[in-house]
Amino acid sequence: MYIIVDAWHYSHFKDMKIELKKFGNLLTSRQDGREALAAINPQLRTLTEREKIDIDFEGVITFTPSWADEFITKLLDQFGDRVTLSNTSNPSVQATLDLLKELN
Amino acid sequence: MLDRKLHIGEASKYLGVSIDTLRRWDKSGKLPAKKSSGGHRYYSYQDLDLYRQDIFALATKWVLGKSVEPKSEFYSPTSTGFKERLSKLQTALEKLEILEEYYPLIVAVTGEIGNNSYDHNLGNWPNISGIFFAFDINKKQVALADRGLGILRTLRRVRPNIENDESALHTAFTEILSGRAPEARGNGLKFVREVVLNNLLKLDFHSGNARVIIEGNSNKIKFSTTDVYYSGCLALLTF
Repeated sequence: MYIIVDAWHYSHFKDMKIELKKFGNLLTSRQDGREALAAINPQLRTLTEREKIDIDFEGVITFTPSWADEFITKLLDQFGDRVTLSNTSNPSVQATLDLLKELN
Repeated sequence: MLDRKLHIGEASKYLGVSIDTLRRWDKSGKLPAKKSSGGHRYYSYQDLDLYRQDIFALATKWVLGKSVEPKSEFYSPTSTGFKERLSKLQTALEKLEILEEYYPLIVAVTGEIGNNSYDHNLGNWPNISGIFFAFDINKKQVALADRGLGILRTLRRVRPNIENDESALHTAFTEILSGRAPEARGNGLKFVREVVLNNLLKLDFHSGNARVIIEGNSNKIKFSTTDVYYSGCLALLTF
């Protein structure tokens, strides 16, 4: 019975995907980063312990440490390695993530 | 002071170019020096500003001048307004094929410098709130300035023992600040330094009587003190 229930849970797990482009292609200020985090907060609260968060940078043109510090850093602080990043080839995304790695 | 005659060394510092470059410009007529009755070559601030006749000269004049708002086309009173203009810079740079895919880095550096001004002066602007922000795509320049508290005073909130403007600038651009209280710090100026050094950009940044010049093509970062005192911050980014 236990196995059946667990399988049912697995079949219904759906990792959370955050498409940053929905917040715009110019993500630069702390204020905007804070507002973006506040906007996804209701979804974050429904996450189960097994669900992961994928942050998708596709469509982002300009990205900075100020914005990232209010959004990415906070998610990493809270969810650790459950957070994955995808489509990070943009040079401003790369440069920002390099700095975050150095800081943490 | 602005009527004073400057010898070539001072003019070189004022424009941020080498003495050899000024001599070449003098010979070629690009920026001719004047001659005193005794035959000595000199420059005036007016000549140098006229030569520049550029956004950086306007930014410098504003930050050193009377407490008035800049011309509206260069003025971003709030960070929301700044973002709108930053978006215009992004669009303009996107069209420059020469920059290829690295143009977002120029926007990012500009964004960090500008947003630093708002974040660190929020509620504490000494007189005019907001920043001067202008870009010249032909000259490949971005100029930013604020009449805020400057790097030293804002850094002392997290590093009370910093002694002077030059130390403050050094800390801001080179040391990782881990303390988050009493204000969030994203170490944005370290990001600025890294991006400028790694992408053949040049940044000339002033705060108080300190100056830093970061040059990507020579991989150099040089701190110094200046005779002129800038109460907030002044920056010229060349790409």
